[in-house]
Amino acid sequence: MTTLCLKNGQIFDPINKIFNKKKDIYVKDGKIVEKLNEKISETIDCKNKIIMPGAIDLHTHIGGGKVNIARLMLQEFHNNSDRDYDLTADFIPSTLKTGLQYIKMGYTSCFEPAVLPINARQSHSEMADTPFIDKGGYALLGNDDFLLDLISRGAHQSEINDYVAFILKATQCIGIKVVNPGGINAFKFNQRALNVDENSVRYKITPRKIVRLLARAVYELGVPHPLHVHCSNLGVPGNFKSTIETIKAAEGLPVHITHIQFHSYGNNGDRNFSSASAEITDYINKIPNLTCDVGQVLFGQTATMSGDSMKQHANHSHAHPDKWLCMDIECEAGCGVVPFKYTDQSFVNALQWAIGLETFLLTEDPDKIFLTTDHPNGAPFTSYPHLIKLLMNKSFRDNLLDQLSVDISKHTILKDIKREYTLSEIATMTRSAPARILGLTNKGSLSKEADADITIYDSNIKDVEEMFASPTHVIKDGVVVVKDGEIKNYTWGKTQVVKPEYDATIEKKLKKYFDKYHTIALPNYSISNDEMSEVIGSDINEVKCSRKRIS
Amino acid sequence: MSKISDSLNHKNIVCPFCSLHCDDLEIDVHDNKLYVKSNVPKSCAYKYEKLNLAKFKDMVTTVKGKPCEPKKAYQYSKQLIKKSKETVLLNSSSDVNVTREVLSTASKVNAIVDHVNSSIFLKNISIYQRRGYMATSLTEIKNKSDVIIVFSNNLFKTYPRLMEKFLATKNSFSVNSKKKEIYVIGNKKNNIKDCNIRDKRITYVDYNNRNITKLLNSLISKKNESSISNKVFNKLLASIETSKYLSVLWATSEFESYKECDEIIYNISAYVVSLNKTSRAACLSLSGNDGDVSFTQTLGWMTGFPSRIKFTGNFFEYDKDANNAIQLINSGNSDLVIHLNSLSEKKLVLNKKNKNIVIGRPCTKFNIEPDVFISCGIPGIDFKGHIFRTDNVVSLPLTSLRMSHSRSTQEILREILE
Repeated sequence: MTTLCLKNGQIFDPINKIFNKKKDIYVKDGKIVEKLNEKISETIDCKNKIIMPGAIDLHTHIGGGKVNIARLMLQEFHNNSDRDYDLTADFIPSTLKTGLQYIKMGYTSCFEPAVLPINARQSHSEMADTPFIDKGGYALLGNDDFLLDLISRGAHQSEINDYVAFILKATQCIGIKVVNPGGINAFKFNQRALNVDENSVRYKITPRKIVRLLARAVYELGVPHPLHVHCSNLGVPGNFKSTIETIKAAEGLPVHITHIQFHSYGNNGDRNFSSASAEITDYINKIPNLTCDVGQVLFGQTATMSGDSMKQHANHSHAHPDKWLCMDIECEAGCGVVPFKYTDQSFVNALQWAIGLETFLLTEDPDKIFLTTDHPNGAPFTSYPHLIKLLMNKSFRDNLLDQLSVDISKHTILKDIKREYTLSEIATMTRSAPARILGLTNKGSLSKEADADITIYDSNIKDVEEMFASPTHVIKDGVVVVKDGEIKNYTWGKTQVVKPEYDATIEKKLKKYFDKYHTIALPNYSISNDEMSEVIGSDINEVKCSRKRIS
Repeated sequence: MSKISDSLNHKNIVCPFCSLHCDDLEIDVHDNKLYVKSNVPKSCAYKYEKLNLAKFKDMVTTVKGKPCEPKKAYQYSKQLIKKSKETVLLNSSSDVNVTREVLSTASKVNAIVDHVNSSIFLKNISIYQRRGYMATSLTEIKNKSDVIIVFSNNLFKTYPRLMEKFLATKNSFSVNSKKKEIYVIGNKKNNIKDCNIRDKRITYVDYNNRNITKLLNSLISKKNESSISNKVFNKLLASIETSKYLSVLWATSEFESYKECDEIIYNISAYVVSLNKTSRAACLSLSGNDGDVSFTQTLGWMTGFPSRIKFTGNFFEYDKDANNAIQLINSGNSDLVIHLNSLSEKKLVLNKKNKNIVIGRPCTKFNIEPDVFISCGIPGIDFKGHIFRTDNVVSLPLTSLRMSHSRSTQEILREILE
């Protein structure tokens, strides 16, 4: 039995509305407890320390086929001369380095947002080989021929719900994501664009319909995380209109719009590229069930990787270095890996940087917006402390804006925004809010019975970037895993999953489909709990679902 | 718990022996013997049923060719490892979990990790390390391809069910499968013999695949300068021009002996990429019968590199030339090679210049007797596991079908490095 006492720390615990209040925290057997009657194994003096729950990244590409393609494609960037962990580049780290770098920043749970059902074994294996953190994945739907065929034949919502629930169970995922709804499938039939109200040539259905049906399925199944949506027209100037239409497609049901920065572009001005962050954040602020993560762009080399093969193929001419890969995958998805270098000499890249920051700063409620770079699409996750400083320090932000190689001052309202995020708001957007939106009732909190995933920062460090980059202690499941930047213990987190109930009749239909059209058998598509623990190597934790009905 | 004498019927079994990993096998197990009930080529069924012979079931350990107790083989292996100054862990065939263990092991003994097929799969990876690449997978080909080109000299011998199960299929939901056009280009005699399918959708074209670039240039210029007859060439050209989704398949291993190998695979890829300006087309390079894909993928996520890494303590370095295991062995720069062969029936090539420990499936063949041989169980027969299919994106579960007398490769590695 391990017991810990964190003494005299300043607590930031948004779920309990505790902000910067001195309090002792007690830990026993991996959980936070109110008090300890036993002998305390270790007391950590937290005077002049800030204590927050472990941070949660709800959208980071850390495991799966496309990540591995990028690792192998871009070997020339694996040149870590510091011999720090291994050679891999920060934007395409190995699984070991991913875990080490996240935990050293105080992140204790991370979620892979693009798990292709057919590739779920690989995604989970990679995440199982990622130390320390709890993890989970969102299964991709909405471009799979089975679902599109169901929709085109006018299937009842209940049948779609059953299919969605089956996929969640089969893939051991915690949520559902749709990428460029219908567009990836349409690309396989040689369509090069698909707008929200445009019919796909093959199935004669619109992205709007796909979003509506999937959002409803996720809601009715009671899956805590709303439908995770990568909108149509990724990166296309003027795409804010289709983003707003996609939000409307959910018809008021909960929906999470991901990397919204990449979907907040206008097409005004002499360069036909402008910020539409004001229009987008107006929606975020007024629609109650809407959340988003930003996908902030920061300057430097990275690799873009997406299920959106339609748009990745369209953008391959921007590859830097000049190489890329797109793939059509198993009649259910696609992927595209295009290396990219964001530079402040590019008007478009500089404005992307500003649009992301505008989106953060114009969104009023930190419960509705999450800190992401869409790792590694906008920048590697290791840049989060820098991003936090940009949000918390106006003069730092303004200085960087002034120093950009291209002048975008007439194209951004960034300088007019006076807001500086507070520590409480940062704690909300990186801890309590993602825990809530994922249904992780035991995480993102310092409540009694919560998982003892805790990060301790040194408040004597005045530079917040430095402070957030190097917590003094990180505790995972009650074990001190990081102390003064050094790894003290290795732990292996669990995989967070949901398993909503469904009518098993759908499996008969799926079996027929698989037998006739697929190249593997349905039983081999599904990953069992035993396979997760015995073969893949990760124990699961089931997050509760509670069915709802739309009247 | 089941007993050896139990009779069991297993359905939807994934075959671990070729990288198509067909998963529609039905296998009966009586008295711990395997009987394939599915209607599959004899060569596929035999891979299972030969394992019923006693010599394939019992655990065998030898030191210098002489049978011995496992303990002695482990002890001697430990001595060899302790004495070694440059150990190579050479993977000859394995699944994901063996590869995971190999990486863990390598860091304990500062070993070089490589795969016998590295030179081939590094060529495949080099395509997208240098230029663009459009890839596809087997279910896409089955359902969306109206035109399929297969460059093959012996491909259907290596992948016995490729045509029947994935290409010339009865059902495709988005194209009329009856109207599919399949061109098999290469050694016509071999292809007809190995395919064993008479199907009017298939056109066998006799061609020297060393000259694929010439054929591609002819297709681009629409002027036949290849040795293919104008009639067949024009038919092929018309099929490509009207196709909605063209798939092009090959196995780089078949081109490896050609000096034009790199040029050929690069030109196929570039041609397919160019077709995507106006239509849809994609490539599938077949590989992985020796667990290559599982090895590459696993190393990829654990190290960022596909093979040829050397551990020094907890750190590792990649060098595709300096850590080329085959070259190291041939040049006498390794004093100990630990061969890992849990799947393949191919004869292992050992070099007498160095000591050899083989952890291999029962009855693994060698050119010379290894210093130590320890038989291991086969993933998918004796142990559970996880393996990648040839298209790199589909990974399948391997199950345990029989009670095994052998230990897994992972257990043996842990034992000799204790």
